[in-house]
Amino acid sequence: MTKTRTAFLMAIAAAAAIAAQSNGIPGLEMKVTKIERAANASLKDCPPGTNTVNAVAKPGEQFAIVTVAFKVGSTYSPATLKGKRPTALDTADKKYFTPSYFVDPGSVGEFSCTFPFRVAEGTKLKTLNVESAAIDLTGVDK
Amino acid sequence: MEIDRRAFIASLGGPAVVAMMDHEAKAEALEHYMEEKLDEMVAQNQSGQPEKFPTVAELEAQIETRPYRRGAGTLFTGQRGQNVKILQPMPPKPTLKDYFELRFAPANHVLQSATRAMKTGMSEEIILACLLHDCVLSLIKPDHGWWGAQLFEPYIPEKSAFAIRYHQTLRFYPDEEAGYEYPDQYYRIFGHDYTPPQYIQDTYKMLKNHKWYMEPRLVTVNDLYAFDPNAKVSIEPFLDIVGRHFKQPKEGLGYDNSPSAHMWRTLARPDNPL
Repeated sequence: MTKTRTAFLMAIAAAAAIAAQSNGIPGLEMKVTKIERAANASLKDCPPGTNTVNAVAKPGEQFAIVTVAFKVGSTYSPATLKGKRPTALDTADKKYFTPSYFVDPGSVGEFSCTFPFRVAEGTKLKTLNVESAAIDLTGVDK
Repeated sequence: MEIDRRAFIASLGGPAVVAMMDHEAKAEALEHYMEEKLDEMVAQNQSGQPEKFPTVAELEAQIETRPYRRGAGTLFTGQRGQNVKILQPMPPKPTLKDYFELRFAPANHVLQSATRAMKTGMSEEIILACLLHDCVLSLIKPDHGWWGAQLFEPYIPEKSAFAIRYHQTLRFYPDEEAGYEYPDQYYRIFGHDYTPPQYIQDTYKMLKNHKWYMEPRLVTVNDLYAFDPNAKVSIEPFLDIVGRHFKQPKEGLGYDNSPSAHMWRTLARPDNPL
């Protein structure tokens, strides 16, 4: 096996290992733990705070609720995600917005957030984008 | 918060009755947070089925079951079915802070909305609009966007007044890109089959193309209709912003002959018979 081929195979293995996980934001570890479908969604901020508004899906729609676990490191700058929101792409590259905002994301060391995306029933999500980080969802959204 | 779910729902007549209760009726029995919990519990009791929201006709049928109108300001009705309380007198030259402490209190909703706006890095005009956007509910509820803007207009930046006036309209129209979803609370208080009246539809059309569309939109994004009851909030963190953007009249709010001075006086003396 040539050196190049070995490196190529190692890169593929590494990519598979980090599926649904991303370190694209300095000091912030993110991992998608599950994706659920529901007719209602809580629009809690991230980390969960004072916003407990709920939303209801219309006929033919549902919420794809993406749960992400975060771990904040010492190099994380709180300004990076302040007031930002993730977006998602489906398999046809259609972009979706979540109403759940990052509010004070550096205030807690470890937390889990749910990001609801209003989608047509049966829509599969491909990618979760959090600013510069893209997390592959294909292995999670089955 | 710990609630004995079965006992609490049973005390109100069971899940079916609770599901039919309007916002004010529930508020008589519960604080905001208990109400929110109750809705969740009712939903759970219905075997995971989505909550059944009332229709416009069902809400209308409740009008003659109350001794007050839903549009009455909170200063004019008793809380939780109780009689109204004696209010502390206002100082001779009242400030906005005085009104917050003596007439708008506890003001959790607006304080939490403004706190969130501050934490998400919004402009000071938006934070101020969030802080003031629902204060007029102490006086009157219908068309509170317009009433609220009129109350504050002589004293605040034009953008903040615009945001207060039109947040009421934009509450009826989701905007996924801006991060605003139609809240389930509106299905409860307006009915799931509610259609906004023509003047709201026309205002929305105007706003969609307005250069300041995002000002009221950001108020709706931070308008936490259901909120954390345990969050500790106060007016203190906003006093600097108020100092920079709120033109406090030296005569005191209500005594400066501004176009809205009479509204402030009504808030100061809601027990006056005429």
